[in-house]
Amino acid sequence: MWFKRRSIFTLLLLAAFTYVSMRLTEFDISKFKDFRNMIDFLTQWFPMDTSNLPRMIEDSILTVAMGFLGSFLGLIVALPISFMAAWNTSPSKFLFHLTRVILSFVRSIPEIVFGLILLTALGLGPFPAVLAMMFHNIGVLGKLISELIEASDPGPQEAMKAVGAKKGFGNIFSILPQIWPNVLSNYFYRFEVAIRTSLILGFIGAGGIGQRLFNDFKTFQYPSVALDVLLIMIIVIIVDLLGSYVRKRII
Amino acid sequence: MLEIKDLTVQYKGNEDNALADINLSFQKGEFVCILGKSGAGKSTLIRCLNGLQKPTEGEIQWEGKLLSDLKEEQLRKVRREMGMIFQHFNLVPRLSVIQNVLTGLFGYRSTFKNLVGWYTKDELNRAKEVIDNVGLTDFTHRRIERLSGGQKQRVGIARALLQQPKALLGDEPVSSLDPGTSNHIFTLLKEIHREHDLLTIINVHDVELAIRYATRVIALKDGVITFDGKPEDFDNDAYYDTYESVRSNGEKVPFT
Repeated sequence: MWFKRRSIFTLLLLAAFTYVSMRLTEFDISKFKDFRNMIDFLTQWFPMDTSNLPRMIEDSILTVAMGFLGSFLGLIVALPISFMAAWNTSPSKFLFHLTRVILSFVRSIPEIVFGLILLTALGLGPFPAVLAMMFHNIGVLGKLISELIEASDPGPQEAMKAVGAKKGFGNIFSILPQIWPNVLSNYFYRFEVAIRTSLILGFIGAGGIGQRLFNDFKTFQYPSVALDVLLIMIIVIIVDLLGSYVRKRII
Repeated sequence: MLEIKDLTVQYKGNEDNALADINLSFQKGEFVCILGKSGAGKSTLIRCLNGLQKPTEGEIQWEGKLLSDLKEEQLRKVRREMGMIFQHFNLVPRLSVIQNVLTGLFGYRSTFKNLVGWYTKDELNRAKEVIDNVGLTDFTHRRIERLSGGQKQRVGIARALLQQPKALLGDEPVSSLDPGTSNHIFTLLKEIHREHDLLTIINVHDVELAIRYATRVIALKDGVITFDGKPEDFDNDAYYDTYESVRSNGEKVPFT
């Protein structure tokens, strides 16, 4: 049976965790009695102010460009590294451990921290934001892809050895076609995340629609905020659709 | 052509030898079938022959060259002279038949050319010829996922054939195929064997198949040779020695 006596203990433990976390986060449904405030606030958002639409679209395009570069450059760097960070394709034990440590190190630093550090050298603007996202994505995609490599079927690799192919090339040739659809779906997910991240980085002066949203909010221009939010939603949906289209074509 | 001397293989964390003190010698033109239960050491033996498995002790000599002496580069040259086919076919997924067959040339070409996928007209024609030989002409550009098991193994054979091998190794190539298809594959292997004057060494589960096609049968049990001779001499005694097929009342089970 799938339900064991130990499951009761697990459930109780989960319930306890949930309770403690709710206390810590002041989770309280009764607070919704001030629901009216939120409605009042949201009514100030409409009608939307479209007077700045051309500039907003420009900023949206900048945001997409930041997200694309931040994730794509990350993918380009992460691909070769992930072959070194997978136990079944790593050229040496030393490289395996080294790349693993580097990957988890860059992954553990949030983009905003990278951004704040790079800001001091590169100044305000989208460039430090792109680099910040690239570093973080190297860490994330490197880990995900190296795990895909480790889970790939060893049979074709063995066949490449048997035909006398060079080891490194045989590995790449036999593994890449296997993992490619999953690499792409991971990549498009990271692209989507990068767009949302570039919004946050907009708050520290990276430009794009994120910075515009932040400024409009600070200056109480809620009708503009509404349009900013709408544009952001449209961008994310378009990237998501693009991702599923490309994946369908490749499989 | 191929000599095995005092070959012993022991896997890590396992006290029993996978192969114990094997001595064998193979000549061009032999069609050898290796029999034995699962875990008898058949796969280990085959994989030692082209260096996919390193011996714990003993040596393997291919045309006078000791495999253990060879550097990576020379070992690759030996491997491309030995075609190998596998139980699970080991084709590269999501590629077409011809793309898979062309990998048989990888041992002969530069990494750059392989990477770019640039093939000469002659190379492409040779690939088409071997695909024709195994009867897959109509499937040349089909993705391998859309082939049946028997067709996949034909792709495996075509890939091995494109290596222009002197020897053909088979690690249970028909164990995941139905009996009819197994027979077709063996007929094809035998034809290729004759036409190219190869040394063919194949692991099989099916005793009847081995006896029908082999010119020499070798049987293994617990890493030791229990039979080595002509297929017509593989009698009930040899069968018991290899498979220990005994009924619960102690009566021996004959295989024919």
